Amino acid sequence: MKNRIEEIRSEKGIRQEEFARQMGVSRQTISSLENGRYNPSILLAYKIAKYFGMTIEEVFIFEED
Amino acid sequence: MYYNNKRLALSFFWVIAGAVLLALSIAEKLDSSLYAGMGGALIAVGVLQIMRNLKYRKDPAYREKVDVEAGDERNRFLRMKSWSWAGYVTILVECVGVIVAMVMGERTVMTLLSYSVCLILCVYWISYLVLNKKY
Repeated sequence: MKNRIEEIRSEKGIRQEEFARQMGVSRQTISSLENGRYNPSILLAYKIAKYFGMTIEEVFIFEED
Repeated sequence: MYYNNKRLALSFFWVIAGAVLLALSIAEKLDSSLYAGMGGALIAVGVLQIMRNLKYRKDPAYREKVDVEAGDERNRFLRMKSWSWAGYVTILVECVGVIVAMVMGERTVMTLLSYSVCLILCVYWISYLVLNKKY
């Protein structure tokens, strides 16, 4: 699943460390999410979307195989 | 909160258990140096955990770091995945071991390895049934 986390985070000028701290996860988790190596749980996805003031669909792009 | 009172009590238990083993070894009530080593290791683990626990209570930065590491969902995912791989690899290695032991005529080794494979498979199925009911 693709996402726009890096794009939105950069637009808002938030550093990975700060974003990770706000989400209560490690910086590596944010890095893996941004690189698309790890898909978040629905809870974390919701938390991220809420933090950006967006819906989950606006942050995460669902692609059917 | 990762380091709670329960973990602190467990750490003290390791120290006491280690001290008892060490004391019994020194008093020659236990006839193997293995117990002395085990006692020393338990004391070391217990003391280390107590020190970590105290640091966790006093140092907010360390507390945040530990809580993030323990609660991070990717870390939990990686831990689960690693356990899963460890299980698969163990079963595969043991199955190969059974065949090798059979070819070499090592009946005892073959039997022990076979039992071990059976035990792991039983644990797997029981875990599956329990988790199937839970989720």
